[in-house]
Amino acid sequence: MSSKKGSSAASQVVHLECKNLHSYLKSQTQIISKLYEEPSICLAAYRDLPEIAKQFVIRMLCVEQPVPQAVVQSWGSQVYAKENLAACEALTELRIWTEASISGGLTAWDLTPSFKRNLKIAWLGGGRSWSMFNSVEQNDAKSRDISFLDNYAMSRWNCLLHYMVDSNASKGSEMEGISVDAVRIILHANLMNRNEQDGSYMLTSQGFQFLLMDTQSQVWHFMLQYLNTCEQRGLSLVDCLSMLFQLSFSTLGRDYSSEGLSENMQTFLQHLREFGLVYQRTRKERRFFPTRLALNFTTKNAIVPENIIENGNINNNINKLQQSDDTNYEKGYIIVETNYRVYAYTDSKLQISLLALFTELLYRFPNVTVGVITRDSIRQALRGGITSRQIISYLEQHAHPKMIANASTSSFKTTSFLPPTVIDQIKLWENERNRFSFIDGVVYNQFLSEADFMTLRDYAQSIDVLLWQNERTRTMVVKKTGHEDVKKFWKRYSKG
Amino acid sequence: MSENTSDDPSLLVIAVDTNPSQIVIRKNPDALTKIINSISAFGNAHLMQKPQNKLAVVACHHHESKFLYPSAEKPQEFRQIDGQYEFFTFVEKSIKNNLSELIKNAPNISNNSESLLAGCLAMILCYILRIKKSQPTGSNLNTRILVVTGSEDSAHQYMTYMNVFFTAQKERVAIDICALDNTLVLLQQGCDITGGHYLKVPQLDGLLQYLLWIFLPDPSIRSKLALPPPVKVDYRAACFCHRELIDIGFVCSVCLSIFCKFSPICTTCSTVFKVPLPIKPKKKKLKT
Repeated sequence: MSSKKGSSAASQVVHLECKNLHSYLKSQTQIISKLYEEPSICLAAYRDLPEIAKQFVIRMLCVEQPVPQAVVQSWGSQVYAKENLAACEALTELRIWTEASISGGLTAWDLTPSFKRNLKIAWLGGGRSWSMFNSVEQNDAKSRDISFLDNYAMSRWNCLLHYMVDSNASKGSEMEGISVDAVRIILHANLMNRNEQDGSYMLTSQGFQFLLMDTQSQVWHFMLQYLNTCEQRGLSLVDCLSMLFQLSFSTLGRDYSSEGLSENMQTFLQHLREFGLVYQRTRKERRFFPTRLALNFTTKNAIVPENIIENGNINNNINKLQQSDDTNYEKGYIIVETNYRVYAYTDSKLQISLLALFTELLYRFPNVTVGVITRDSIRQALRGGITSRQIISYLEQHAHPKMIANASTSSFKTTSFLPPTVIDQIKLWENERNRFSFIDGVVYNQFLSEADFMTLRDYAQSIDVLLWQNERTRTMVVKKTGHEDVKKFWKRYSKG
Repeated sequence: MSENTSDDPSLLVIAVDTNPSQIVIRKNPDALTKIINSISAFGNAHLMQKPQNKLAVVACHHHESKFLYPSAEKPQEFRQIDGQYEFFTFVEKSIKNNLSELIKNAPNISNNSESLLAGCLAMILCYILRIKKSQPTGSNLNTRILVVTGSEDSAHQYMTYMNVFFTAQKERVAIDICALDNTLVLLQQGCDITGGHYLKVPQLDGLLQYLLWIFLPDPSIRSKLALPPPVKVDYRAACFCHRELIDIGFVCSVCLSIFCKFSPICTTCSTVFKVPLPIKPKKKKLKT
């Protein structure tokens, strides 16, 4: 008998890996204990836990001793045992709790002291105030209103996106505001790469995927890339992270003082200012305003909470909500019809070129662009590494308010505002390409007897590694992970 | 879109009974401070769950109900004072300030007056509906109410209670009850109707821990946790004439009002009933 190893072609398109906070923290094993010294990071980490894990943590927060594992297990219901286990695992991975043994030989869970202490501080108070907040200044008349900050933030951010879309076209003339640093991060993140011959920059497939994300994920992804390179700039990762999270827990429309910040953090602040995460009138000014981009940028959901300054006022709440809807970034502009036509009410070059990634553009008018989604256009996008989910979520995110209103008043309820036929068809077109699935495996053939083959096959089947077998040719394929086991079994079997 | 999922943000409205004539507070005047501290910590814990979560706290006094947070007045400037998240400090401060305002302006109680809990709940429902309406189209909001009270059951408010409970059920608002002192039969019915939880706190000292255990999880994930089973609910109704809980009574055939004693005219809808006469035995047909 012989075994052959064959490895299949790896998936050819690089998908943009977008980590959430949870997996990011998980990867920072060396500094995670230092991170938990910051109340703001503890709070953000807590919010990102699975629902059940959140309940576990809050139950243990005020308990001053380790809790036996059996007790923790009894908190969840039996029916959802799997989810409870996942929650426990998440807590272990993030080192929020550690195993401890208590008297009586029981194993117990013990919350990491620093995490426990600092989450309590963020929740109930006590401790020192956060570095960004420590010098209180008098509120002066020159405060900025929220719509101003929103506009500012979006214009800064769009500047970056515009640069990515047509960096070459706008060389010199329109290249205001984007610094060498930002370009370096874009290159580092592999969102664009440099053409060796003429030195021009090209958008990569990851770059396209980046552009299709919603603004909040873009900011998060971009900042992660920034943080990866911040050590090279001589900035401490822990300090940057804590500053970033403090910003994300600040209040919109409120000014903060930069006086208490160290030299390094001042530099960091200037970078944040460039990306539009904070507003500062001049470089020298000692006050800055966080913008909507910085607030809660760790959360997936695009709904920005209203912990803005007017929050307390009930009577104003409704007006404010509507107002913030109007100013909330750009409004949706895309209408998708059941006949696959796409109408985009926009004159922005950025938005049109994004749309052109997966639609065939038919007409251009001053205020509207008409395109159609075809099999070819979608397949071209898929070849570029964009997934159907990204396309659909892009269309959903930028759906025209009229379309949203229609969907919510229509008699049959769907989860999306888009016509179901279009969604299904896009998914089908993607599935067309995935007729093959690749699994690494090892071939076993040239068995000497039928019995040998049967024994080995049955064994492989029993440990659930058998991929394919043919009795006539006495050939079987097992998963690569099961190869060792099967080999060992064969050795034992052929000896005995 | 109608299905509630745990991914949606949720709005929690806490109704705190601050009536000074509650036995818990009369016995120990510090109890109110303890309760308020627990409530604000619990509220912040709710806000901590998800960034989009919303909170409202309503005080229910003997003369009026008032929003402690968010309050109708212009909020004063707040800044971080210690390591606490700025927003949490703001919530805590406004709850305390508004409550002290409310207590200062309250008229003296002449005799033991009831808390206006039913009216307070009605007010909360209106608030919830308004917030729901102001949500951007397409987004979902889970809503629930938590009542923390040490008052006794008041059969006087039976009608209002029932109206509130059924409205809440229709609007998918779960009502949780945390009883501090007495077993509350009427409110228990409300929990049962709307799918909330009922808990009578065994001792006041651990109030926050009880709140966190039982009431912090959203209804959508409660099924995944092992929580105490629902208590058997006493579904007795209060009669409309004496406001007493009765097992068997008379019901008006027109408006379904309940009475413990027979009356010839319904006091609610003025229907005139025939006086029940002993049924005459059928006359036997006489043979001719």
